[in-house]
Amino acid sequence: MSEQQAEVTTDYEPRIVAFLCKWCSSAGSDLAGVSRIQYPSNATPITVPCSGSVSPMYILSALNKGADGVLVSGCHIGDCHYIEGNFLARRKIHLVKELLGFVGVEPDRFRMSWVSAAEGAKYSQVIKDFVEDLRPLGPQKKLKADRS
Amino acid sequence: MINIQDMRDTARDLLTKNEVRAVIGYRRSSSGMNAEPVVITTPEQADELVWDPTCFHNLSLYLVEDRKFLAHTRNNPGRPIAIVAKGCDARAIVVLMQEHYFKREEVYIIGMSCEGSGVLVERKLAANGIQATNASFDGDDYVFTTAQGEKRLPAREIMADRCLECRIPYPREHNVVLGEDKTGRELAEPFAALKRFEERDAGERWIFWERQFDRCIRCFACRSVCPMCYCEECVVDSISFPVNAQTTAEEKANRVRWIERSAVRSENITYHLTRAMHLAGRCIDCNECERVCPVNIPLRLLNNKMEREAREQFGYEPGASIGAPALVASFLDNDPEKFIR
Repeated sequence: MSEQQAEVTTDYEPRIVAFLCKWCSSAGSDLAGVSRIQYPSNATPITVPCSGSVSPMYILSALNKGADGVLVSGCHIGDCHYIEGNFLARRKIHLVKELLGFVGVEPDRFRMSWVSAAEGAKYSQVIKDFVEDLRPLGPQKKLKADRS
Repeated sequence: MINIQDMRDTARDLLTKNEVRAVIGYRRSSSGMNAEPVVITTPEQADELVWDPTCFHNLSLYLVEDRKFLAHTRNNPGRPIAIVAKGCDARAIVVLMQEHYFKREEVYIIGMSCEGSGVLVERKLAANGIQATNASFDGDDYVFTTAQGEKRLPAREIMADRCLECRIPYPREHNVVLGEDKTGRELAEPFAALKRFEERDAGERWIFWERQFDRCIRCFACRSVCPMCYCEECVVDSISFPVNAQTTAEEKANRVRWIERSAVRSENITYHLTRAMHLAGRCIDCNECERVCPVNIPLRLLNNKMEREAREQFGYEPGASIGAPALVASFLDNDPEKFIR
């Protein structure tokens, strides 16, 4: 309903689901907040213990439940609190990204980034870029469930 | 060239000496040309076993079923179960052992080399206008018995695509093996269909998959036939949510549902993408899912995509060795990360 209206009035605001790792990216987004860096409010952060704990199911499910874009963010390689979690995430996420692109979902709808706890500015930039890239794509309808 | 009698003798021997409790193999089905899976438990039944181009079933599925049955009955038979396995089936068994689904000594693998050929596809056979009652191997040819007498055709013309593309038509993991090792044969370029498909742009690809997934009726035949889909509880239909008289409407409404069971496009595609992800690095391309699909969804494309990604980006070969780690539980320092910002 609200999406149909959004299309007509063209003030479409993309909705992003951001899976942020507890140790780095979540703290990074906190830093962006306490530093009062201005960035779009389109992202809904979900704190997860580690980027390696993000199951492909989370990503598909987020798109299925109506997210326009999904972001997975974790610690830089080598900085993982669990030593190798982000190495595993990197491999898994690569497969999800390839698979989504393969069936024809726009590659810009899904993104991964490394944001450390000190990179509040980078986090805000990642969100800004993501929102800008999502705007021309319009609402995500391919995987979204029709629950009307 | 495999002598069928050798396979029967091996099975009979194993059962006579009581070394195994049963042999999973193929027998002639009660109608038509195709073979069907059979479990034999007595030496006399060994003569029922057959080996021909219609042995397309991946019998490792029945090892999984057997394992589940033993766990359910809390039975420890002590003796292994024997299985007739092609190259691809043996790789499936290796993947299952890699995941500690059962131990090596619990299975006795009677390996069958496909040598220069493989299994046939009924659709290709029908396109050649052959209505056969029996099929058999003869070198690199298939020989069919039809109402008009014997017909001989080169195997390449009616062989399954996956067999044409197969590089290792030989069960490396085996207790006994029949036939020659023709590893490295090149009958066709691997991933040919995938390459053709990827030449289309994203929009066309989506239109193609949209049409495919709209047809899915969610019969779950692909899941039932897959030896890798052995989870007790599938993410698609949760069975561990107890509903009793005290369960409130709110609890029912708030239970976690990753995917709905309704056969609508968004749920179908999420189901099939999830399945493709779960099979990444585990699928050994037996293509049973595509064969059993009642609406002919080209599932092999999805599985091949994941297989090629694993091979080219991570150098991972599914079912190569029992000790190898799983694809998504291992990593290399130089895994691709260009896509990460």
